[in-house]
Amino acid sequence: MAICTGCSLLCEDIELTVKDGDISHVRNLCRKGHGHYQALLTERARPMIDGKEVALDQAIAKAAEVLHSSKAPLLCGWSNATLEAQAAGMSIAKKLGASICDTSPPCLGALMERIISGRIPTCTLDDVRNFADVSVFWGSDPSNSHPRHLSRFSYYPRGEKRQKSYEEERTCIAVDVRKSATATLCSNYYFRMQPGGDGEFIESILATLDGRIPKFGDKKRMIELGTILRKAEYGVIFPGIGMLYSLQNRLELFETLLAKLNEIATFKVVPMVERFNSRGFYQLLHAPGNSLAAAAKGCDAALVVGSDPLAELPLATARALARVPLIVIDPHRSLTVDAASVVIPSAISGMEAGGTALRTDGVKISFEPIIESDLPSDEQILAKILEAI
Amino acid sequence: METAVTIVTFRDIFQDEAAKKSKFTDEFRDLCARILLDKQDMASLGLKDGQKVRVQSEVGAVIVVAKTSDDDPHPRLAFMTFSPWSNQLAGEDACMSGARIAAKLSPSDESVTQISELLQRMRAQGIST
Repeated sequence: MAICTGCSLLCEDIELTVKDGDISHVRNLCRKGHGHYQALLTERARPMIDGKEVALDQAIAKAAEVLHSSKAPLLCGWSNATLEAQAAGMSIAKKLGASICDTSPPCLGALMERIISGRIPTCTLDDVRNFADVSVFWGSDPSNSHPRHLSRFSYYPRGEKRQKSYEEERTCIAVDVRKSATATLCSNYYFRMQPGGDGEFIESILATLDGRIPKFGDKKRMIELGTILRKAEYGVIFPGIGMLYSLQNRLELFETLLAKLNEIATFKVVPMVERFNSRGFYQLLHAPGNSLAAAAKGCDAALVVGSDPLAELPLATARALARVPLIVIDPHRSLTVDAASVVIPSAISGMEAGGTALRTDGVKISFEPIIESDLPSDEQILAKILEAI
Repeated sequence: METAVTIVTFRDIFQDEAAKKSKFTDEFRDLCARILLDKQDMASLGLKDGQKVRVQSEVGAVIVVAKTSDDDPHPRLAFMTFSPWSNQLAGEDACMSGARIAAKLSPSDESVTQISELLQRMRAQGIST
């Protein structure tokens, strides 16, 4: 059995055979996970300095040299790195006085801060499987982002108190601006909203829960939704980044909704972080993350670990990063690798390197390497850099 | 011929799978460099499925392939997968999936923007798109 680090569900039941450069006899991998394992064999990064291939140790020494001579270093990425690598990164940040941040959007950080501090009630995905009778996918589409979410936890499985599963005992609701794959599955319980309309949608639900006529949306449909939520025994909301982005600085409205729902029934929130250990970084940092957009503009060198910011960030932030010497630790070729001054190839966590990570619900998952590799792990590379600076 | 739309980005499992294998393939480009439009907007732009469209925002521009969305009617609302192409259009405060981008669309005969060009734009300081 292997653990898939393709997304933050960290599925623990993966079976496959890797032989002679090919993957076969695969069981339990989703399409996304299959792509993740295929990546073992495609486009691996090579150690480079200024576009020329060098020995691995030379690249590590150059990385330490660049960071040591930097006046305002930035250490970013971390979402696809183990807890051990993240801790090593924080030690480097402390020693250098460097900024450290991930590439997740600030709106997700605001939710994570509230969940970790207990201001927003949460539960584990195992609780969802065992107890939840109502799942609300709000601005999230697990069928595309976390493909086994519905089958392992939120809709299809039989749980301790949900033996009849989705046929009779579970209701799935989708709230989204587009009819996503998950919304299609939810069928009659798909509620369409206009982009940016999440605040009004919450106000409408609050009105129906108070027995008032909602001001926004289809009144009949909103009352129908309010009735389902009111009758829930154990409801869980899975907010996507779309919803958080829409609410921006009005996240307290979401807190008000949860407080109201919890007066009537039990309602929890489980975040939908995408990368396999984004949750771990939030929990380790234990403070609101720095703004990457601001940090990128202020830095004079950047170390990127477990992320491809040039592919994932808006143009202005990507440009700010691309103007400084980039040191990239990554198993694969990426846009950031192609723009980097120093490239350090690393073993793939979960396949060639072991470690621990926090699942999207905060449960710690440990994994061992399943394939031998000559490449060092992110953690080992960072330990060498820490020693050299 | 020009139409103003709001673009909302989303996640796509096929694109994610392609990205995990390599972001430098035609498969990845084809899954990213496309915009899903309402039937009415396709008609007003005189576009057929597979024809190219220039997408211009305040931040940048890309040439992508237009496709008719199979969703319920959503005039003036367009969808793009979250990708290096959508990031060329997104403002600094945009998030990953679910970002909202104001853009103008016009039919185009130019080639679809390649990933090498996107990287070049990121590395070229001060060069406007």
